[in-house]
Amino acid sequence: MRKAPEDPTLPGESVEIPLLAPHLSTPHFPARQIAGYVTSLILTGLAFALVAYRLLPLSTLLIVVLVLAFIQAAIQLGVFMHLREGRGTTWHLPIIGLGLFVGLGIVGFSIWIMLFKSGVS
Amino acid sequence: MNNPIGALPAEFENTHEGVKILGFWVFLATDVMLFASLFAVYVVYRSRVALGPTPAQIFRLGPVLAETLILLTSSFTVSLSLYAARTSHLKAAIAWLVVTLVLGATFVSLEIHEFVTDVLAGHTWHQSAFLSSFFTLVGTHGSHVTFGIGWAILLTLELAFRGLTVANRRKLFSFALYWHFLDIVWIFLFSVVYLAGVMT
Repeated sequence: MRKAPEDPTLPGESVEIPLLAPHLSTPHFPARQIAGYVTSLILTGLAFALVAYRLLPLSTLLIVVLVLAFIQAAIQLGVFMHLREGRGTTWHLPIIGLGLFVGLGIVGFSIWIMLFKSGVS
Repeated sequence: MNNPIGALPAEFENTHEGVKILGFWVFLATDVMLFASLFAVYVVYRSRVALGPTPAQIFRLGPVLAETLILLTSSFTVSLSLYAARTSHLKAAIAWLVVTLVLGATFVSLEIHEFVTDVLAGHTWHQSAFLSSFFTLVGTHGSHVTFGIGWAILLTLELAFRGLTVANRRKLFSFALYWHFLDIVWIFLFSVVYLAGVMT
């Protein structure tokens, strides 16, 4: 029914950076979505069980739970949010990357500065 | 009818719709920074409980796990709605969208119940810096979800009356992005606020 446009017709639609080339696929069965959902359920259950039943020492527990959260976020972005799709260069990748960079900076440096128990805290 | 592998989904077919999707990503990037700021405030203030309760005293993991599973499932159903739209199944797209908004409404009502329980116990956001930052962070997410439900209702009507036009496909794609983004924020709320809150 629909075809990929042969070649970009408008300026700005060409793939200017090979790294940001779009990846497109709509297969005949939503297998990726189902796999992503099942993996998310497993990771959520694992994080919950680790905390509810104290399966790890307190020092490593928080780090493991955070790592599980970042894996789940990556699944949501990559599988469900069709991160690599777009028309021409996928310019939303550097934009969302900048958002994450600033966001993680705000959180990380706020924690870091409060670790100095002097003055500000 | 299925898209052959590698074909451009219809929401990108029109240049203007493609630009609008890029614009929506820009909005999501600003929302990332909004939530990052609120998370930063929360992690700085979570130990400042004054005379109020500590996180471990007011968090109940059971209802929170239920909220997490409901939102996770709604994230899955909206992806199925988008998949149905891309394979040109209008009825399936509408049905999955309705399932999504019902799950979203269930999530919001569980969260309102949690907030009301806390407030009736006297734990309002006036009580401590921890509670102020907690209600602001979780409430901002909850209001985003509430807004998303209203959006999903309007989108359902538009799909029902106008069908799978290119503009409607783009709107459904943007809504799916918004909804998955809220699920990502909730994963961090679940981990950083609730799970870390009961680790003592």
